[in-house]
Amino acid sequence: MHILVVEDETRLREQLRDRLRDRGYVVDVAADGKEGLYYGEEYPLDMAIIDIGLPKLSGIELIRRLRSHNKHFPILILTARGNWQDKVEGLESGADDYLVKPFRFEELEARLNALLRRASGWSKPVLDCGPISLDTGKQRITVSGNAVELTAFEYRVLEYLMLHAGEVISKSELTDNLYDQDYDRDSNVLEVFIGRLRRKLDPDNTISPIETLRGRGYRFRLEANAG
Amino acid sequence: MHSLHSRLLLAASLVLAGFLGATGLALDKAFRVSAEAAMQDRLQSHVYALLAAADEDIDGRMIPADELPEPRFSKPDSGLYAVISNHNGEPQWRSSSLTGRDLGLEEQQKPGERRFSRLARSGMQLYAFAFGVAWEDYAGMETLYTFTVAEDTSVFQAEIDSFRSTLWRWLGGMALVLLLAQGFILRWGLRPLRTVTNDLQQIEQGRSDRLDGHYPKELTGLTSSLNSLIEHSKAVQVRYRNSLDDLAHSLKTPLAILQSSEPDGSNDPGDSHELVREQVERMDEIISHQLQRAAVSGRTTLAKPVSVGKVVERLVRSLDKVYREKQVTVDLELDPSVTFTGDEADLTEILGNLLENAYKYCNRAVRASVSTNQHAEGVEIDIEDDGPGIAAEQVDTLLQRGKRMDESIPGQGLGLSMANEIITVYGGHLVFADSPLGGTLLQVRFND
Repeated sequence: MHILVVEDETRLREQLRDRLRDRGYVVDVAADGKEGLYYGEEYPLDMAIIDIGLPKLSGIELIRRLRSHNKHFPILILTARGNWQDKVEGLESGADDYLVKPFRFEELEARLNALLRRASGWSKPVLDCGPISLDTGKQRITVSGNAVELTAFEYRVLEYLMLHAGEVISKSELTDNLYDQDYDRDSNVLEVFIGRLRRKLDPDNTISPIETLRGRGYRFRLEANAG
Repeated sequence: MHSLHSRLLLAASLVLAGFLGATGLALDKAFRVSAEAAMQDRLQSHVYALLAAADEDIDGRMIPADELPEPRFSKPDSGLYAVISNHNGEPQWRSSSLTGRDLGLEEQQKPGERRFSRLARSGMQLYAFAFGVAWEDYAGMETLYTFTVAEDTSVFQAEIDSFRSTLWRWLGGMALVLLLAQGFILRWGLRPLRTVTNDLQQIEQGRSDRLDGHYPKELTGLTSSLNSLIEHSKAVQVRYRNSLDDLAHSLKTPLAILQSSEPDGSNDPGDSHELVREQVERMDEIISHQLQRAAVSGRTTLAKPVSVGKVVERLVRSLDKVYREKQVTVDLELDPSVTFTGDEADLTEILGNLLENAYKYCNRAVRASVSTNQHAEGVEIDIEDDGPGIAAEQVDTLLQRGKRMDESIPGQGLGLSMANEIITVYGGHLVFADSPLGGTLLQVRFND
């Protein structure tokens, strides 16, 4: 998952970047509105966190421009002023949710998960595909009701595949969403991770949730459960 | 031109000058025309008198009388001259007043025709009247003569000049008197404005609280608006001061807790981290609550009416976005004519808090209606949901939250108490009831 953080407060920006990276997200940061606009237009993003009070280009204006350039990824606004007029203005400019500063990181993460899920067309916080169930709120996986322990990175791989269940995800798309720009794309680390995931989710090789399509990428084979 | 007084005075003076000037010119012109007509009459009667005095010689030809009717004809340079010329324009007779002069007054006019003209001859301005006659002698032969009488304009000019000087003296005098009167009227008419200015100065200097004088009715709108502005700014000031006081006081408790829990090695670090987080959240809540309370601008007479329905619609659109997951069914019944006299941000804050409460606690359905009462005055806003509802005994606690922030525990319900406080500032009230949908019905009432 590729996230852009636009925040002028250096301390908060770095804190968010580090904590989100720890959680397995790919994070780009921008310190002002103009830089934010550049990243927003030039990089394939899954999500943006934008502070309302930004130098050079206000958060509201930044969101408006991104939306007018047909950028439809979810946007979460951060605002120091919790009054409704500001919130409404932010949401009307094209943001999808708001968070009033100061906030707890857990709260931010819950909102991010909800927005990402929503953007992929899932309405519930728990993604159920066959026996596999992924709770985006608690970040827990169960297979047929048994908890499976995943690392943060493995979790991100699975989440991305499940959010796009049924779609073919190319290796490079997956890499883009899991690593920073400077990652060595030729390495076969990804294959190693997919292999580990398969073993953890399906030790007996009975459900084979993840298909490899030679030359094209991967596909989460199980369909979303109805209801 | 920054003074009303000088503006009015200038405008009035210009109008006055224009009017008096035009009057003077018209009178002058009229006098001149009538004086010229009188001159023509006079010259004409001189011609008739000459004609009557004329005699005839033995051939029946006309000769002027020796005794002329007007002595000025006989006196040289008297200013009144007469010439009789024959049908060739040659002078036949000249009055003695023309002795030693040739003014070229001879003219030819057909019998019965006359001409009145103004001439300039050898440095003299003259009015001349020429009259043609046919003189029939005994043999029945007709001889044509033209009688011309001319008078120097100096007399006439003197008359005009004297009229003019009288006229302009009078007009000037009138202008002066009218200007003075005008000055006095303006001074008197604008006095209430000066009174208001002075009264305002008294307020600025703190010697008075409000505009209390008796003002003319054109000014009462202004003065009462000023009064309510003054009251409003005082109320805002008081609110700021109270908020600051409350803020300072209520921040002290969590600060004291933090201070007294300085790690001394005996505490579990996890515990103290939890404590810090708890107190930080509490302080954040206190700050945002007090700031919002201070930001309420309250009712002003000059506020422009805000459409309540539009505010509800905007908020519902925003909340729909935020609570998309919940798929709330919203039923709106908005009377578009209902307006709220006050600050839009305040109304947005009230309704935002109430609506969010409904979205948060509902199962699926939220209903909002905006209407006015039977007398079409006041604003009635109902917001209800199908959630679990609020027990009657909780209502007071909910609304008291925030008032004694230093005692309260972080959690839910801050929005409702905030909304209630703003509603109170506007002299309205918030009523909790049970909704037919099964949850809470929040009724907001403003008497407008």
